[in-house]
Amino acid sequence: MITIENLTKFYGKNRAVNNISFTINDNEILGFLGPNGAGKSTTMNMIAGYLPMSAGTVTIFGTDISKEPTKAKQNIGYLPEIPPVYPDMKVKEYLSFCAGLKKVPRSQRASEIERVMELLKITDMKSRLIKNLSKGYKQRVGFAQALLGNPKFLILDEPTVGLDPNQVAEVRQIIKDLKKEHSVIFSSHILSEVSAVCDRVVIINKGDIKAIDTIENLESTFKDNLFLNARVAGRQEQIVSVTRAVPGVKSIAEINPVSDGVYEMRIALEGNADEIRTAVMSALLANNIQILEIFTEKPNLENIFIELINQPAKRSSLQDIVDELKDDADSSDDAADKEEA
Amino acid sequence: MFSIYKKELQSFFYTPFAYIITALFMLLFTYVLNTSIANMDSSMLQFSFTEIFYNVILFFIFLIPIMTMRTFSDERKFGTEVLLMTSPANVFKIVIAKFLGNVTVFAFMLVGSSLFPIVTAMNGAVVQSQLVCAYVGFFCWGIMCIALGMLISSFTENSIIAAILGEVAMLAVLFVDDFSRTAFVSQYPALQSVLDSFAAQTKFVYFAQGVIRLSDIIFFVSAVVLFLGWTIISIEKRRWNRG
Repeated sequence: MITIENLTKFYGKNRAVNNISFTINDNEILGFLGPNGAGKSTTMNMIAGYLPMSAGTVTIFGTDISKEPTKAKQNIGYLPEIPPVYPDMKVKEYLSFCAGLKKVPRSQRASEIERVMELLKITDMKSRLIKNLSKGYKQRVGFAQALLGNPKFLILDEPTVGLDPNQVAEVRQIIKDLKKEHSVIFSSHILSEVSAVCDRVVIINKGDIKAIDTIENLESTFKDNLFLNARVAGRQEQIVSVTRAVPGVKSIAEINPVSDGVYEMRIALEGNADEIRTAVMSALLANNIQILEIFTEKPNLENIFIELINQPAKRSSLQDIVDELKDDADSSDDAADKEEA
Repeated sequence: MFSIYKKELQSFFYTPFAYIITALFMLLFTYVLNTSIANMDSSMLQFSFTEIFYNVILFFIFLIPIMTMRTFSDERKFGTEVLLMTSPANVFKIVIAKFLGNVTVFAFMLVGSSLFPIVTAMNGAVVQSQLVCAYVGFFCWGIMCIALGMLISSFTENSIIAAILGEVAMLAVLFVDDFSRTAFVSQYPALQSVLDSFAAQTKFVYFAQGVIRLSDIIFFVSAVVLFLGWTIISIEKRRWNRG
């Protein structure tokens, strides 16, 4: 198990990562999600032992990475955001160098290199210079490097960036397969990708954790975001009154005329979407309103994500609140200045 | 550590780099040798290899930063520093391995230069003891410059800047004793003695005369230790300050 406690990183006065804590269980894929500049890479660099933390601890299978870095790092395979490859080396040469670096026993090196090349499908490229490879292949070579020596804990920083859709699917499958023997933390700024692969997600923004939960739980938290879209023909007042009367309809969010006597509406729901849809349909039909089109809007993962990251940070101390007020005051001053100018 | 050393050697010897720099070194050696022969005193018909080494150093120090400029700056540029830092090797081992890699190339250059005394010995006579001392001195001087070049390479991710700063540092090391003998510095004996103790050229003179003094060896070795230690600190410091 990997435990991250109260991890904080300051770049000068700028707080990049703010007091975050979470755990990664054995044989679990944890998604690490946040928009660009949220502190993902910084956190991953700290977990991998590349950047020292300003405060907090990272414990990898019982070993504190800042106290016993050599021992802790033996269990880590790290694929940074930019694949750490030497352009002037051949793929096999590079992997053999990495195997030595990771202290893979000499007798197992050849088979280990074959294994990772096979897994990432780069065997055909083994005698090519890395600088001549495409971005996707470089990414895979970097990934192969992380898997060398079969470390128990893998840190993958945006492993699918720059890959074509086919490769993305392959890499996702590889990550899923890794779950059998490894713990994986996997970062991305695309929620759908994380939801395809991960068991749990940690969402961060501006260095703060916004949510730690399974994808299902996150979705159900945002159940009240259900909407029903319908295109109907009839009189507007009648449509509105009939629809409103159906139990489970919270409100009519929008209603717009499309053409003569045809309206498009978006209905906010509360409860089981399928049942309400049937009820709305029968009510409309019973009142001789024609239904041209009707569908429920799936709770959009991206919307959940956007909503989560836009939540204001939970302020823990009075000092923080004061800071925030100060920031607000500053920004309104700026706005006033601009107006004057 | 051995794997990093091996990788360093690959990056020098699997590319034309080591061969080109050795060829350039031999070209400089040839040039100095030919000038010495051309200016030879006709009454004595002898010249000193140690003197040639002494003259070669003037050119040679400009080669060292070319060799060391990529040591750390390229690792940063290509993002491979992360790979080294997150591997079970620590910074000390990384620095030592890279140092040994550079020293190996330097030794390769010295082996190349041994062609000239060998050919001379085949056709004439060479004072061997003096020659060996000159080689030892040259080697000591070289590893000090390599350590200094590596330190400068750890300051920047631009290898060209590392090379230029390296040249400046080499000039400083070479001419610190000339500077200490200027009229200006002579006014302050205390300053002069401090500067003199940093002067590597005067120490090399003893080697060139065929004398190996323990104090000179200690000077060069401690300079290497100082620069390499500083390199380790510089790399660690950058990790802490990175932003």
